[in-house]
Amino acid sequence: MELRAYIVRRLLLLIPVLFGVTLFIFGLTMLFSPIERASLYVRSPRQMANIPEIIETYGLDRPFYVQYGTWINQVFHGNLGWSTVAHMPVLDAIWAFLPATLELAIFCTPIIILAGIFLGTQAAAHKDKPIDHVSRVAAIAGWSLPTFWLGLVLLMVFYGAFNGLLPPDRLGHQMSIVVNSGDFVRYTHINTLDAILNLNGPVLVDALRHLILPVATLSIVSVAFIMRLTRSSMLESLGKGYILTARAKGLAERVVVNKHARRNALIPVITVSGYVFAGLANGVVITETIFTFKGVGWWEAQAALRLDIASILGFALFNAGLFVLINLIVDILYTRVDPRVRLGGVMQ
Amino acid sequence: MTDLRFMVRQLVRNPLSLAGIILIFIFAVIAIFAPLIAPTPAGHGDPYMIPRDGFSATPALPSQQHLFGTTEGQYDIFYGVVWGTRSAFRVGLVVIGVVVVIGIVLGSIAGYFGGVIDEVIMRITDIFLAFPALILAMALVTVMQPSLTSVMIALIVVSWPSYARLIRGDILQVREEDYIEASRGLGASNARVIIRHALPNAIYPTLIMASLDIGAVVLSAAALSFLGLGAPEGYADWGQLTAFARNWIVGPSSDPLRYWFAVAIPGLFILFFVLGWNLLGDAFRDILDPRLARR
Amino acid sequence: MKDLIRIRDVSVRFYTYEGVVHAIDDLDLDIRQGETLGIVGETGSGKTMTALAILRLVPYPGKIESGSIVFVDKGLDKEIELLKLSEERMRSIRGNKISMVFQEPGAALNPVYTIGDQISEVYLLHQRQELAQRARERVNSLLANGRNGWAATVKRPFWRWQRRLYSKIAQESNSIEPRLLGRLPLFRRLLRRLSDEAMLLTVDMLKDVEIPDPARVAAHYPHELSGGMKQRAVIAMALACSPELLIADEPTTSLDVTIQAQMLELFRRIKVDKGASVLFVTHNLGVASEVCDRVAVMYAGRLCEVAPVEELFLNPLHPYTKALLDAVPMPGKELLTIPGALADALNPPPGCRFHPRCPSAKPVCQQERAILKEVSKDHMVACYLY
Repeated sequence: MELRAYIVRRLLLLIPVLFGVTLFIFGLTMLFSPIERASLYVRSPRQMANIPEIIETYGLDRPFYVQYGTWINQVFHGNLGWSTVAHMPVLDAIWAFLPATLELAIFCTPIIILAGIFLGTQAAAHKDKPIDHVSRVAAIAGWSLPTFWLGLVLLMVFYGAFNGLLPPDRLGHQMSIVVNSGDFVRYTHINTLDAILNLNGPVLVDALRHLILPVATLSIVSVAFIMRLTRSSMLESLGKGYILTARAKGLAERVVVNKHARRNALIPVITVSGYVFAGLANGVVITETIFTFKGVGWWEAQAALRLDIASILGFALFNAGLFVLINLIVDILYTRVDPRVRLGGVMQ
Repeated sequence: MTDLRFMVRQLVRNPLSLAGIILIFIFAVIAIFAPLIAPTPAGHGDPYMIPRDGFSATPALPSQQHLFGTTEGQYDIFYGVVWGTRSAFRVGLVVIGVVVVIGIVLGSIAGYFGGVIDEVIMRITDIFLAFPALILAMALVTVMQPSLTSVMIALIVVSWPSYARLIRGDILQVREEDYIEASRGLGASNARVIIRHALPNAIYPTLIMASLDIGAVVLSAAALSFLGLGAPEGYADWGQLTAFARNWIVGPSSDPLRYWFAVAIPGLFILFFVLGWNLLGDAFRDILDPRLARR
Repeated sequence: MKDLIRIRDVSVRFYTYEGVVHAIDDLDLDIRQGETLGIVGETGSGKTMTALAILRLVPYPGKIESGSIVFVDKGLDKEIELLKLSEERMRSIRGNKISMVFQEPGAALNPVYTIGDQISEVYLLHQRQELAQRARERVNSLLANGRNGWAATVKRPFWRWQRRLYSKIAQESNSIEPRLLGRLPLFRRLLRRLSDEAMLLTVDMLKDVEIPDPARVAAHYPHELSGGMKQRAVIAMALACSPELLIADEPTTSLDVTIQAQMLELFRRIKVDKGASVLFVTHNLGVASEVCDRVAVMYAGRLCEVAPVEELFLNPLHPYTKALLDAVPMPGKELLTIPGALADALNPPPGCRFHPRCPSAKPVCQQERAILKEVSKDHMVACYLY
């Protein structure tokens, strides 16, 4: 099947899924009373004060499908409701909190991928030797760690015991002032990037200092996962016939492992990277809460606590859409990497 | 079944899986004998609510009276972690038990009958799987009013799709095997073929995933409780106990690690419980995958 | 005929969890220059292990315990003790002087690389200097051409740089500058001519093994080829550097009968055209009779009989050989089998391994194994009957 046809087919299949997703979210909202649902439709606090009018305008006491229509309509117009936690429309809130989470993601992703794959390859290549056993136990332990507990312990040690060496929040007090002053241009709202673009060293250092613990907390679980997967995938790959052929050709062991075995072993790892992203999305909620790192995860946790329905649902919707997109990208990537999936047909 | 005996022998021989089994066993003992280990004070009421010794906000250090100290609000930590073991087992086993059953039923139907039924069930799982688990669970718990029961329901809703998919995949593989054709040729009904022939062979990867997931479920439940979306305040739940420690990670500047016990102890219980199940699940995986088992 | 490989007293043992398995027991065998020697036997007879032992590719938990395997290098006119070579020198022999073809071509090829890539890999590994020479000559002719467009003017310094690099590689395969550059992303392109030259040789080789439209096939992935084509590609890979010995482990077993016939024809041609020796491992007597000059029969890790092919089929001496030949099904003939079961690998019978199933067994057969003796011209047997 041609690649383009494959992509088109997948995109078409996406539509019923997205439809189902919106239906599901909306179904959840129907479990709330009309008054609570009102926050889904407003854009400002003034509007919130006038609830009966809102119920009237949006027909919040009319049948299900009518309401669904109204809601979907306004979602397409960009109105996801009003966030009581953030005091701004939900869409704006997502926009406002996203850079912090992106910053975490930018630092976590390469660490997870590189460390996980490297450690996994080493463990597989030196199977049953000490490094394999140690890394295996470390991986299982890392995987069993409650993220929130790890974050607390790290804070306790590095912030408490070491007297504020690696603090929570995104920036220290002084640097926050610098960043919000007029001299500092906010290009992306990602502190490290902005610091580089503004050629401001102290801000960069401070931002990095605040990033170390959250990034470590977030990465550990995913690194353990990728490492285990890479190891078992590599072991399977190393047991295949083409490895014997490669050795019979006279290739050095290092080339056999890195060139022949690993490329095949990475295929399932790529397939799984969608799940890794999901794991990050989950971990972000807890990590940002513990370190008071004000990104979308922190906002979501606050919203859940304070029953800010519009925020919760709006974010769930956003997340679902993103997730579906990422899975599509991963699928396409998969066809690029594995030639067997890409093209079909046998030559004679 | 010599298969089973072989499996058990392998499990016991591997030091890591043995460690896992021992850990789970220890926790099981704690859970069963909870009333003996940490007796509920007379006239207390619901044993799952931790007894309080006063209302002071500052955690008290471990002492004769309170072996592991108390949390903010003077809840006895020792009592909490012991009875929390029961909560953990309850959450883990109930959620996974229900999820496996749902997964088997829906997955078998989808895998065996194929066609439209399969497509529909798969699209439904797609919808659920479109959400990162914790986020969806959070949304569901908010809808249902936070409590441990709603956490369990939320986790069931979030977890079943993966199992349905897994079992469906296995049934699809197994469906093409000759012995299925053979039993159909002999006139066996569809249900019989599924239950007696297809399932037993498809069940092993599910076993692996289930034992690994018990740990993951307990972790998620603890995370939700920690965020305040799970067990109510004062309930004997490990995540809930850790939440109390949030404000006390740093003590006075002269003794910053003063309240370490409030943070460390509930967390360690979670860690070792999950570790036990993970070790077991990992060992299952190594044993049931014949290619990896051969040295 | 002179010897190419001399195997003496080689034993291969597997240290498994259940016990020690004697895969090969004190084997003595010669492979002569230019001959196709077949090794015939059932599963577990040790024939594949013999092939792997020559290349020192015996997998864990197996070990080559004792003995010597001498390789007579025609090109260098030296005798090399293979079992004592360093791993690095052994690697320079694998795929180069001695190469191997495996049973399942589908499994032998890496699914994520093209056929052309996998075959070129052999050239790039073992014939780097020759490739560099050719590349240098090509760049030389480009420079000498004296074209004067602005494109040529821009490229000229790069051509000169390439010429220098290729000269360095031609002199010293592992020289530093090209090796470093080869690792850097952009500068790698300078060495691209090496792979281009390798690909030219690859396409030639594919043509040699009678693959139609070789340039197109080289650009394809293994899963896009049929079984016969894959096996030809694998053979091309093994023959790339004109080895002195080609080891083929059941190369036709997984193919259709019609393709099998073509494959055997190919092997016959290889013997004639390339002058290489072939070690042909198979369990199929018919196939052995078609291709081989001499045939060796193995049972339970030991050599039973070795003879020129016609002599073996007309005049089999060892009871096992006779039983094998009798067991070949023929229309009109009663179907004969060899009574008893294969020797247990963990607890083999004492003395001669075949004696429990042998119709002519004598008391001495239970106690000590017979030594290989030459009974008639070039016809050796290990049996107390002679």
